[in-house]
Parts: sequence; structure tokens; C-alpha cells
Amino acid sequence: MEKLRAKLNSDAVVGHVFAAPFIFGFVCFSLIPICMSLGYSFTDYSLGSKQAVFVGVKNFLNLFKDEVFSKSILKTLQYVLISVPIKLSFALLVAYILTRKSRMVTLYRSLYYVPSLVGGSVAVALVWKQLFARKGLFNSILVNMGLEKINWFGDEHLAIYPLILMAVWQFGSSMIIFAAGLKEIPRTYYEAAQIDGANGFQSFFRITLPCLSPIILYNLVMQTIAAFMTFTQAFIITGGGPNNATMLYALNVYNQAFKYNNMGYACAMSWVMLIVMSLITLLIFRSSKFWVFNEAEG
Amino acid sequence: MKRRLLSSLMVLTMLTASVVGCGNAAADSTDSAPQQEATKEEKAEAPADSATEAPAESEEEITLRMAWWGSQDRHDKTIAAIELYESLHPNITFEYEFYSFDDYFTKLKTLVASDEVWDVFQLGGNFPMYLDKIYPLDEYIESGVVDVSNISEANLKTTRDKDGTQLGLTNGINTYGIAYDPAMFEEAGAELPNENWTWDDYQKAADLITEKLGIFGSSTFLSSDFIAGCSAYVSQQGALGENSFFNIDLTGMGFTDYQLLTPFIQMRADMIKKGSYPDAGASAEVTNIENDFLVTGEAAMTWVAVNQFPTIYNVCEEQGRTLALAPIPKVTADGNSGMVIQSSQMLCVSQDSAHKEAAAAFISWFENDIDCNMILQAERGIPSNELVREALAKEATTAQQIMYDYVDYVSKLPTPSEYNVLSPDGQDQVQDNYLNYIQQVVSGEITADEAAQKTYSDAEALFK
Repeated sequence: MEKLRAKLNSDAVVGHVFAAPFIFGFVCFSLIPICMSLGYSFTDYSLGSKQAVFVGVKNFLNLFKDEVFSKSILKTLQYVLISVPIKLSFALLVAYILTRKSRMVTLYRSLYYVPSLVGGSVAVALVWKQLFARKGLFNSILVNMGLEKINWFGDEHLAIYPLILMAVWQFGSSMIIFAAGLKEIPRTYYEAAQIDGANGFQSFFRITLPCLSPIILYNLVMQTIAAFMTFTQAFIITGGGPNNATMLYALNVYNQAFKYNNMGYACAMSWVMLIVMSLITLLIFRSSKFWVFNEAEG
Repeated sequence: MKRRLLSSLMVLTMLTASVVGCGNAAADSTDSAPQQEATKEEKAEAPADSATEAPAESEEEITLRMAWWGSQDRHDKTIAAIELYESLHPNITFEYEFYSFDDYFTKLKTLVASDEVWDVFQLGGNFPMYLDKIYPLDEYIESGVVDVSNISEANLKTTRDKDGTQLGLTNGINTYGIAYDPAMFEEAGAELPNENWTWDDYQKAADLITEKLGIFGSSTFLSSDFIAGCSAYVSQQGALGENSFFNIDLTGMGFTDYQLLTPFIQMRADMIKKGSYPDAGASAEVTNIENDFLVTGEAAMTWVAVNQFPTIYNVCEEQGRTLALAPIPKVTADGNSGMVIQSSQMLCVSQDSAHKEAAAAFISWFENDIDCNMILQAERGIPSNELVREALAKEATTAQQIMYDYVDYVSKLPTPSEYNVLSPDGQDQVQDNYLNYIQQVVSGEITADEAAQKTYSDAEALFK
């Protein structure tokens, strides 16, 4: 009895009990579906017919013949490569400005965080759609300034930029993380640099950036992954058009799964996406030893 | 320092995760709320039933789930009709859902996968995809639950399977047409559409209107461009009934030469280049018939399923504009019309339903009851029940009268003895690709001929 009690009170048991709801949810709603999707990716499963016939690697082979698939990969890469760096630099810039000691800082920080709170929501995407519409706010401004209207969502080469801009606009969560990181950099470093005659730029590039590099790495990885999974903007604003110029990968997966009834094929696409994302994340981690500054070694 | 940093990072991650988690949880709970309510109601009713000892069958508390797609006008009318039914049958409660066309089918597909399709649901020409989920009405027609005495054989046939199974009752018959604003045509000096106008006339008028008025000559056909434009274009060529996009049994293509499609694709691309037809960006702004460019005054004509005509006619009337209805243009003035009378949509009972008989009884009432249809006002198509049609015709508005006359006109046109208005599984993908190919023709990536070839092989691949 005593023994049982001691056992129940052990850290391991208590910990697991408290973690149980999460573990349950994770297993039921993430792990099992993930494993099933791997199984389905080798079948021709569709939501409508519900019959899953094993087709081997046919789904994966078909991917290489699918024009929309290759285009969606290119477009997603373009989206990630442009949106993530801009978003991070913007977040860092705002966080840096807001480290100044001022009463209003907390208010400003909350304000800048608001877009991230409403972030991926459908409502914001709808607003964005209106802003860039043919007769939307931005075109009205252009016309009033005597300029030509821009057909944002009708032009293949332009259509992705409003989506990128919307992603950049939601820089709040990275900004908060940067702000926390900036606070951790000891003031003494800056004071020492000042005495040595360093100007603002020098102290930013020589002190702030190196000291902040672990945080940059973290943000870079998280934001890259998030950018790869972007769905709402493309789904609501452009629906993937024109000519698939905004066919982000997640939207393509959704279309195949729910619109075209090719769930098996969509599962295969998801797994390809997982592999690509893992590779890119790995690449970022590998590269980190060249640019992430580690105080312990330094 | 590093530790503190790490821990603050972790806290932040957890916070974000919990915020995201909350979001999901909230969404889930709203989703499952109706179901929870339903089970609660059932539980509450169980003791009540046993208290009254022997409850008559008709007194049983029933919750029917129903869904449809359509415009706001349809939602309002359908809800009013449902409320009328509830007041007539106090033991029946409805849980209804309504969507736009695309969202409806996305939702339906997930429900098919989880065997939870609504008791009463609406299906159009794409019903072959959902045959497994449809509970046929034959037994209820036999037992008298479903009354078909005033529905003509021809109308019943529109919602029958190949082997004669009655899958549902049609909500009404309709056909396609072009709604246009004659005043805009006159202002631009364009020739008004007539019964024998051709696609050339259509393009010329649209281009002229764009040139003169700076608006779209023709509004987008949306995804219907594939059905009403492209596939009608195929059946308009050759002898009557010689060509159709898909064959009669829906087992393969209904034409052999892909070049039948080329001129149509070329026309679309040319019109987009000229600005007389909306490009993809502008098309994405139109989400349903009520914000179509014709209604907003940014286009002079648009494609409609004629049951939609009264809705937009009324909206435009409020703006002081009067719309008219013309047939779909033809390839040659003396050629086939390519138009047929068909079932707009039907209501079906689902295989998953626990109350199939109650669902069937509701469908019967929905199609046959005069009071109900006075509320619905033929918004889903011209009612198949002759008594209902007479009652409605007596009080028809101008717009409805135009619609009745038009359907009357189309029904007298020569049509092939057998035709197929159904679409096969996977047509959505062909359709999306088709719209993309047109954009590629516009940007000069491919030629119209290549686009036609690709569309043909995409469609052909559905049957392999």
C-alpha cells in the first residue's frame, strides 16, 4: 500500500497523469491520422467511394507528371523565400525600436501583436481581398494619385505579392520573441561599445545580431514551417488563380482531397511536403553553425 | 542567461500553442454543437415518451437534418418553408444548414466519408457520384408517403437512375440562358440578342460594349462556363444529338474530335485579352449570382440557370434597371441550340438517415404543397407539380413570367431523343484545369488548340 502510494506520488506518474489529456489528443487527432495518411498514400482512397485499393507508389509517380503539382511547389518556394526574410527583418526592426525605454512601449507592442492574433483568420483574408480588389482601397488611392489601376489578382506575376504582404503584416509573434531576446542582451556590452566609439549601426551588427542569432534561428525555423503550411490566404483570396500563380501547396492538397476526391493522392502529396520541409529545416540547422553565435564557445 | 532565454521561449511557444488550441477547440465545439443538442433532446424526450405510455407513431419527436446550397434569397425562402412545416408538424424539428455551391459539396464529401449525410439533402446533375448515399423513394411512393400523382412522368424521369429507381423528387425544372441589360446594349449601339444569335454575335456585342461603356461585355460564367459554354458548344455542332461532351451512359466522351473545343477556348481568351470578359482575378470576386457583375452594373450580360433570373431581376429592378433573358448563343444561326430542359436539383433522402420515412414525407410536402411553394416562389426552378405550377402562374411576377415563357420556348426547341446532363466523378478537376488552360492561352503560354487538346485528354482520363 505504502509502496503503491509512493509510486503514485512519483514525479513520473504525476507528470504522465497531467500530460494524459494532451497525449490522448495527440495520439487520437494527430498520430493516428498521420499514420493512416501514410497508409492511404499508397491507395486510391477517395472520400466519396470510401474504397481504398492498394496502388503501390503510383500516386508518387503521378506527382511528377502533374503540372499543377510542380507549379505549386515553385510558387510555394517563392512565397516562403520572399515572405519569411521580409517578415523576420520587419519583426526585428520593430522589436529593436520598441526596446527603447518609454511608457508607451507596452501599448505599442500589444498593438503590433494584434494582426498576429487575428492572423490566419478568414475575416482578415476577406478584408485583404477587398483591399486589393479591382475597385478596392489600394486601387482607389492609385487612381486618385493619377496612376494606373493595378489588377492585383488578375496578373499572374503580381497575384502572389498581396498574399506575401499579408504574411509579413502578421509579424507580431516573431516580434515578441525578438523583443524578449533583445532584453536578454546585457546593457554592458553596448556601454563598452559606446566607450570604444562604436556607432549605432556597428553596435547593432556587432552586438545585437550575434547575441540574438539563436533567437533568429528559432524564428526562422518556425516561420519557414508556418509559411510552407499557408492555406487560408490562397483559399479565400485567390482560390489559387490566376493560372495557378497562387496555388500554394496546402491549397493544392486540399483541392485534391476534398474537391477532386483524390484523398490517396492528397495524402501522398502531404508526405512529400513533410519530406521537403524536413530537408529544409535540416538545412537551416546545419547552416546554423556558420552564423549562430554561441556564447559558451565564443 | 541562456536558460532564462530558453524557458521564456518555451513559455511563448506554449502560449501560442494554447491560443491555437483554444481556437481549434472553439471551432470544434460549434461544429459538434447541433449534434450534442440533438442527443440531448432525444434523451429528454425518452422519459416523456414512456410517461404517455403508448405514444402514437406520428407523435414521436423527430429531428431532421437538412442542407442545401444557393443564394441568400433561397436561404430565406427555404427557412420560411421549413418553419411552416414545423408549425404543421410540432413533433418534427429541423436542423438546417446552407452553403454556397462549392462549400456544400466539400461538406457533403466529409459527411459521406463519416456516414453522417443529412437526412434531407439537395443534389444536382453530379448525383452519380453520391449514388451510394441516396435512399430511393420507390417504396414510399408505393406506400403513399410520397405523392407523385400530380407530377408528370417526364418530370419524374429527370431524377431517376438508369435502371428506373426514383432517387429523389426534382425541385423544379430549368434550363440555361443569358440574362442581359437591354439598356446597356442600346447605349453601346450593340445588336440585341435574338433567338438565333451566334457566339460571334455574342463576342461582337460584348467587345463593343466594353469599348463603348468601359465595362465587361459579358460577366463571368464562373465554373458554369465549362457546362453551359464549353459543353453546350460541343453539342451545338454536327447533326442533332451527334455530339455531346460526355456520352449518354456517362462512360466516356460524347465526341471524338477535340478541335470542336478550340474556337470556344480561342473566343474566351480573346475576350479576356480585350477586357470584355473577366479575367481570373475579377472572376474570383464573384461568389454568387447576387454579386454578379451584371447585378453590380459592371457587365451587360451574364449566364444564368433560369431559376436564378427572378432573383437578379428583382435586385436590378430596385436599381431602376430592367433585365431580359436570351437563349445561349449558337455556333450557327440555323444549328442546334444545345439547350435542354432538365431538373435543376432534387431533394433526396440519405442512406444514413434514422428517420427516412419522415424525411420522405417532408420532401413530398416540399414539392407538392401549394402553401409551401407560394413561399418558395419557384426559386429552385419551375415546380414539377402541375397544381403548384398553376397556382404560382396565377400570381406570377414579371420576372417569373419571363422565366415561364422562356422555359416554354426552350421546351419546344428540337432536342435529341436521349441526352445526358449529368457530370461524372472528377469533373471539378477537368473544369479547374480548363479554366487554367484558358488563362495560359491568354498569357501566350499555349495555343487554343493545345488547350482544347489538353481539356479533351483530361476529361478522357476520368474514364480510365
